[in-house]
Amino acid sequence: MLKYWLARVIVVVALAGVLEAFGQEATEMYIPIGESPGVSNKSSLLGTIEAVDPGKRTLTVSGPAGTRKFQITDRTAIWIDRSAQKQRSQTGTLADLRPGRKVEIKPDEGAGQAIAKWIKVQL
Amino acid sequence: MKFMLTFTLKPLVICALAAGLSVLSACKTPPPAPVDQVAKGREIFFNETFAGNGRTCGTCHPAENNFTVDAAFIATLPPNNPLFVAETNADLKRNFENPKLMRQFGLILENLDGFDDLENKFVMRGVPHMLAMRTSVNSNQGPRTGWSGDGAPGDGTLRSFATGAVIQHFTKTLNRVAGVDFRLPTAEELDALEAFTLSLGRQQDLALPLPLKGTVAKRGQEIFLDNRLGKCNLCHANAGATANFGGGNLGNANFNTGVANLPDQPAKLTGEKVPLDDGFGRPGNNTFNTPPLVEAANTGPFFHNNSIETIEGAVAFYNGDSFNKSPAGQVLAGSDPQKIGIKLDATQVVAVAAFLRVINAVESIRQSIEVLEAGAQKGFAAREEAKQSLRRAVIMTEDTIRVLEAGALHPQAVAHLQEAKELANKAARSFFERHSLIKQAIERQRNARAQLVDGF
Repeated sequence: MLKYWLARVIVVVALAGVLEAFGQEATEMYIPIGESPGVSNKSSLLGTIEAVDPGKRTLTVSGPAGTRKFQITDRTAIWIDRSAQKQRSQTGTLADLRPGRKVEIKPDEGAGQAIAKWIKVQL
Repeated sequence: MKFMLTFTLKPLVICALAAGLSVLSACKTPPPAPVDQVAKGREIFFNETFAGNGRTCGTCHPAENNFTVDAAFIATLPPNNPLFVAETNADLKRNFENPKLMRQFGLILENLDGFDDLENKFVMRGVPHMLAMRTSVNSNQGPRTGWSGDGAPGDGTLRSFATGAVIQHFTKTLNRVAGVDFRLPTAEELDALEAFTLSLGRQQDLALPLPLKGTVAKRGQEIFLDNRLGKCNLCHANAGATANFGGGNLGNANFNTGVANLPDQPAKLTGEKVPLDDGFGRPGNNTFNTPPLVEAANTGPFFHNNSIETIEGAVAFYNGDSFNKSPAGQVLAGSDPQKIGIKLDATQVVAVAAFLRVINAVESIRQSIEVLEAGAQKGFAAREEAKQSLRRAVIMTEDTIRVLEAGALHPQAVAHLQEAKELANKAARSFFERHSLIKQAIERQRNARAQLVDGF
């Protein structure tokens, strides 16, 4: 019986963090800033870009809860939210992240709260 | 005992580590929602277009076809049905749907890996039914929605699913601008839709084995539950959608079962472009979600790409090379003393399918009785609602008859069901005898069930 439970523990430990939450990114890019169901105002940060460091690939954002710095990785999705202009959302780049712009950032729960999973930036 | 330990250990460990299997624990399911919330959700589900192209949730998940669509059902729809918006809306003519594959195989186009290359980046998937979701969505890593378990945006929950569906399927143009091409569901609408969705079908798993009466179905159940022969119950515990490797229910899981490697897939035989569907994630890991099996027999075609039309064919899939050479098949083989994944003979395939047909019929009869009883409770003022309930009961009963007849199973039960259908039809038309006719219809349903299983 010990062997059995040991195996279960091994499996759980081995799989921990393998899969993140199952939020689908494809349609997420078309959801305007602040409207992502179950995410906006819960696990994401809405705020204004304070600073961008392209070299270190970091983004500093100030929001209602203060200022936070996020790491941008190769896996971080950046989307340009143009819904306010009634135009199609687009895939963006680090260059689209400029101080003063409104953003919503979803931390990568699997990788850590300081790593951005996706960023929506409003034009 | 030692053998049993080894047997339960190996699949558990190897599945998890080698097959990309997600080992999960069942989560707590929210309690049933208030009836008015369910009613509100039903209204939204079937009537709300979200200011889009005319589709509702019910367009692809019609109640009269078990909340899914197949080619036979699609063939009954008029040309102006919003399912066919790609044929009628010039803005959606290209890269929104493939009408040929939709009409021939019930396939829907989805851009799960992004919308940046619409010509080439898409998948063609069947429409999953929405029954018994209360039993099939949860895992301890989050709810699993859609064929690959990652169908919902936002927090990935069932509640958020409708938001993604509106963006993918309801848009007026391929720009997909919220507030222009559609409106997004409100928080209240999402709550109601979730409540309605969770109210559909079974609210709990079966407890197998059932005391089945049919010789073949009974043998099918034995094979299904035999972890050294059918091995079905490992990933479809109690014919549901959760895994159980011997140490309790682990919740819903994703597997790579090699469906994508099937030769001669119907959609591909047409010559139409059908890109590889890589399943969960972006890029995908080729795993797909485990659907519940109680509802299978009347919700085909089967698998994410609708590649197999019959339940017998779906069972036989697990005999083939595509499954047995897949990661999931290899895991089963690795844990088998004879190094066999799944190998059933034709009689055994038919027996397992017969079992699945019979448990589907038992569940459909349960639902029919529930609907008939609801119809009986309606007073004179609610006679239109009563008629609707009776019509639903008729459709469900016709479905049950088809499921049993297609497997040449339980002709006596079919005869009772035919009578039940006629009685429900009469009750729908009757002014004075409605209650008596409904009572008789329920009695016939119970007679039919008594042919299939003891003690229900």
